Amino acid sequence: MSNCIKLYSLTNRGSLLARLTSIQAVKPRYASTTKDGYIYVNKEEPSMNLGDVTDRAAQTIFMTEMFRGFAVTLAHVFKEPATINYPFEKGPLSPRFRGEHALRRYPSGEERCIACKLCEAICPAQAITIEAEERADGSRRTTRYDIDMTKCIYCGFCQEACPVDAIVEGPNFEYSTESHEELLYNKEKLLDNGDKWESEIAANIYADHLYR
Amino acid sequence: MDELKIGTLKGIDKYGNKYYENNRFFYGRNRWIEYAPKYGTDYDASQVPAEWYGWLHYKTDLTPDKDPARPKYKWMVDHTENLSGFSGAYIPYSTTRPKIEAWVPPKSS
Amino acid sequence: MLRSTLSKVLNGSKLSPNLVCVTFRASSDVAKKPEKIEVFIDDQPVLVDPGTTVLQAAAQVGVEIPRFCYHERLAVAGNCRMCLVEVEKSPKPVAACAMPVMKGWRIKTNSDMTKKAREGVMEFLLVNHPLDCPICDQGGECDLQDQSMAFGSDRSRFTDIQFSGKRAVEDKDLGPLIKTVMTRCIHCTRCIRFASEVAGIDDLGTTGRGSDMQIGTYVEKFFMSELSGNVIDLCPVGALTSKPYSFTARPWEIRKIDSIDVFDAVGSNIVVSTRTNEVLRILPRTNEEINEEWLADKSRFAYDGLKRQRLITPMLRDNKNQLTPVDWEAALLTVGKVLQQAGPNVAAIAGGMADAETLVAVKDLLNRLGSELTCTEHVFPMDGSGTDLRSSYLLNNKISGVEEADAVLLIGTNPRFEAPLLNSRLRKTYLHNEAEIAVIGPKVDLTYDYHHLGTSAKAINDVANGSSPFSKVLKNAKKPLVIIGADLLKRSDGAAILSAAQSLAAQATNKPEGWKVLNVLHKVASQVAALDIGYTPGVDKIREAKPKVLFLIGADEGAINKEDLPSDCFIIYQGHHGDQGACIADAILPGAAYTEKQATYVNTEGRAQQTLVAVSPPGQAKEDWKIVRAVSEIIGMKLPYDDINEIRSRLNEVAPHLIRYGDVEGANYFKQASQLLQEKKSVDDSPIDVKIKDLQDYFMTDAISRASPTMAKCVQAVLKQKESKY
Repeated sequence: MSNCIKLYSLTNRGSLLARLTSIQAVKPRYASTTKDGYIYVNKEEPSMNLGDVTDRAAQTIFMTEMFRGFAVTLAHVFKEPATINYPFEKGPLSPRFRGEHALRRYPSGEERCIACKLCEAICPAQAITIEAEERADGSRRTTRYDIDMTKCIYCGFCQEACPVDAIVEGPNFEYSTESHEELLYNKEKLLDNGDKWESEIAANIYADHLYR
Repeated sequence: MDELKIGTLKGIDKYGNKYYENNRFFYGRNRWIEYAPKYGTDYDASQVPAEWYGWLHYKTDLTPDKDPARPKYKWMVDHTENLSGFSGAYIPYSTTRPKIEAWVPPKSS
Repeated sequence: MLRSTLSKVLNGSKLSPNLVCVTFRASSDVAKKPEKIEVFIDDQPVLVDPGTTVLQAAAQVGVEIPRFCYHERLAVAGNCRMCLVEVEKSPKPVAACAMPVMKGWRIKTNSDMTKKAREGVMEFLLVNHPLDCPICDQGGECDLQDQSMAFGSDRSRFTDIQFSGKRAVEDKDLGPLIKTVMTRCIHCTRCIRFASEVAGIDDLGTTGRGSDMQIGTYVEKFFMSELSGNVIDLCPVGALTSKPYSFTARPWEIRKIDSIDVFDAVGSNIVVSTRTNEVLRILPRTNEEINEEWLADKSRFAYDGLKRQRLITPMLRDNKNQLTPVDWEAALLTVGKVLQQAGPNVAAIAGGMADAETLVAVKDLLNRLGSELTCTEHVFPMDGSGTDLRSSYLLNNKISGVEEADAVLLIGTNPRFEAPLLNSRLRKTYLHNEAEIAVIGPKVDLTYDYHHLGTSAKAINDVANGSSPFSKVLKNAKKPLVIIGADLLKRSDGAAILSAAQSLAAQATNKPEGWKVLNVLHKVASQVAALDIGYTPGVDKIREAKPKVLFLIGADEGAINKEDLPSDCFIIYQGHHGDQGACIADAILPGAAYTEKQATYVNTEGRAQQTLVAVSPPGQAKEDWKIVRAVSEIIGMKLPYDDINEIRSRLNEVAPHLIRYGDVEGANYFKQASQLLQEKKSVDDSPIDVKIKDLQDYFMTDAISRASPTMAKCVQAVLKQKESKY
């Protein structure tokens, strides 16, 4: 223990040199300095005193370790379980959690995405495919907005790149599917996700608004 | 609910799911959902609607009726559970028209 | 108008001639070469001609000065102020684009004063520029974006975020090709200068001053020209963007493939932009010899025709007389059977977009079957030397040579629409070379003044025998040019006209060595290659021969009808679009369009160039020469080439210049050609006509542009413009 205190006091001084010398000067537990200055870091051989050897033999014979283990197990029977009962109880999530993607709309119901393709450009997994053209009213809109959810690495760059907060990674993570193709999302699916999850997405953005 | 727990009813969503809280349980178990009876034993985690999602996941302590950050727009749609494997499952399709229009030979008399 | 003001400037001031010459024409032949002067750019010494601007001097040592309004091919405007640089001992920064250098000047392009000046200019530009880069089509290839990153300030002093006074300008409707967002305009006036100098229509201009300044057409009018698309490239910001391309792609996601344009015989160099196997837009590629950096509107915008009316599967006419899709095997077997039965009674007609590889493959196939009937849709007189001497069917003096001419006679051609980029060169000689231009043929608007010598073909003789006022001009000219439209020569007296033109050309005596007076301007891309390979121009022989099988290689101009052929004639159409040729066909073999194959085209100068594969052919369509090769194998007369290199070596055997890409194989033997063509018949008196007289005729001339919705909109717009009172 005195060794430890010495180590602390030396490191607190902050000098690298002092720290280096302290390694040599201080003998850590399970470490011994040989004559030529090397430090022995392995576990030391058990002592071979008659008393110590007898102690170890007695512990093996009476299986004390086993009973100590059983005691821990028995203690947990009387404790409250640490697991939660999913799907009735759910674990805590952050508002910044990055789950299933969604395309959002303006309060008027107009889709936000303007087909600037910044998300497509930044996507490191190249999971996003966008095609765009002029809509009948002259505005810039996508005709195709596909995300391959099996390529996506959920880095969240797309929502960071989006100038209009259109593409977001929503809170949902319970969208596992039975087939691969169901994870090839298209624009309709993403907009539908947005319409479904808007309440939670808006709350998440509100929760985070002070930090961006 | 497959175990016996006592808590206060915090609300019921429009699909009939009941939300309970009892802070005598530790954090993580103190909020729970009792799925609507219509689901029977076919309850699923994805049946939690977006409005209650944040409360159930401990993002907020405000139930949806008290949370000012939750807008209500008329274009918002009803929640659906994850329908993978059922008839209503999403099947991808192209949202664009074909790139090449083929020539159709004129009908000759 | 422009010409008179320019010459005034030229004669008026001592300084300007050099300035103007340098800005317009790199190789100016100013009478005496004055001594060079030394200036220092960032302490690097450089020797330049007097009159060189600071910006050009800097470019010589590789220092690029930022600019918005300055453009090498346009007059200097000096109104964006982005090119301000510090000159030592000068109290204020100077505009590098407009300021000629003086001896010993020390120019600092990277000093604090220069940087501050740039930042200030940038700030002023950005104050009134909207922040709509995410929806702007220029985003990613925008000069303003790039230069504000490179030279702008890194922080903003703009505090007026309550939108009380950011400038907003109403958008102008400039027609179906150019989309305008005038709020983004930074008033560089490049578009105005292009319109009045190069395109030759003074429709664009500015109104108002200061922050009320607007670019527009003064009255409500479309900006319709055969070169209008170039203002899109010139615009440094997103004020003028392409309407057909609008919102479809970003520059960073596009694959660019260098290729050649085939909508006219000029062979403009283009860059095809593609993504996901779709042609998204076509831009010009700089080639000083051919198209400089401009591109005609049809070449630029007709690409959407490549996605409509396509032949994507082989078809055969069934027993109900209806074309039905079949697979390649059935189509090839049927075609092979028909060809075998017909034996030597086979003929082929090549259309305007056929490539040299296909042409040579078809000719080889027909020759093996024992037929010599390979023809082109477009006619050329076969009397005299015919097409044996290349000098009689090429634009011998080259397109860039037109710039040096001082007297030009245009016979039966409307270069403005048959070869818009040749016409822009003619306009250039007219403006800067004081060239006299005369026209025999219908009176059309060529964007410059010319002497109209009459519509009758007799006028050629008048010029030749000296009774026309223009004959003196032509005789005295140092560098005269005679340009004949290829269309004119399909008349019955075409040979006589060619003969007359040849003798006319021979009269020019005081021309420099190597200057070639006689030039023929073709209208279609395939013609020169076809004549080089040995196709017979014109389909008259086929009418006489009454073949059992007719092979159409993209021939859609209706040169031959079903009525001209025997009733049992089997017509095979091989091409990429369902048009006139496909309608009369009994079998259709879908081929590739020019963006979908690696193919050789020879332009009207005789310059071989190749297209590259930008996208793959749609559906089951295949590269054309491969189809011919497959047919040959089925009928048991296998052509001896299996890949593109082998067919190119076959091209090399036929005519070596066909694979010397980029080079012009010049033609000579003018004297021999005119000796051989001593036409007894005289030219008849009927008036000369050109097919494309007006802008509305220009847009839809071939299978691709006829299928293009954009081109249809252009025709509508021109017709609508005609009705308006302006």
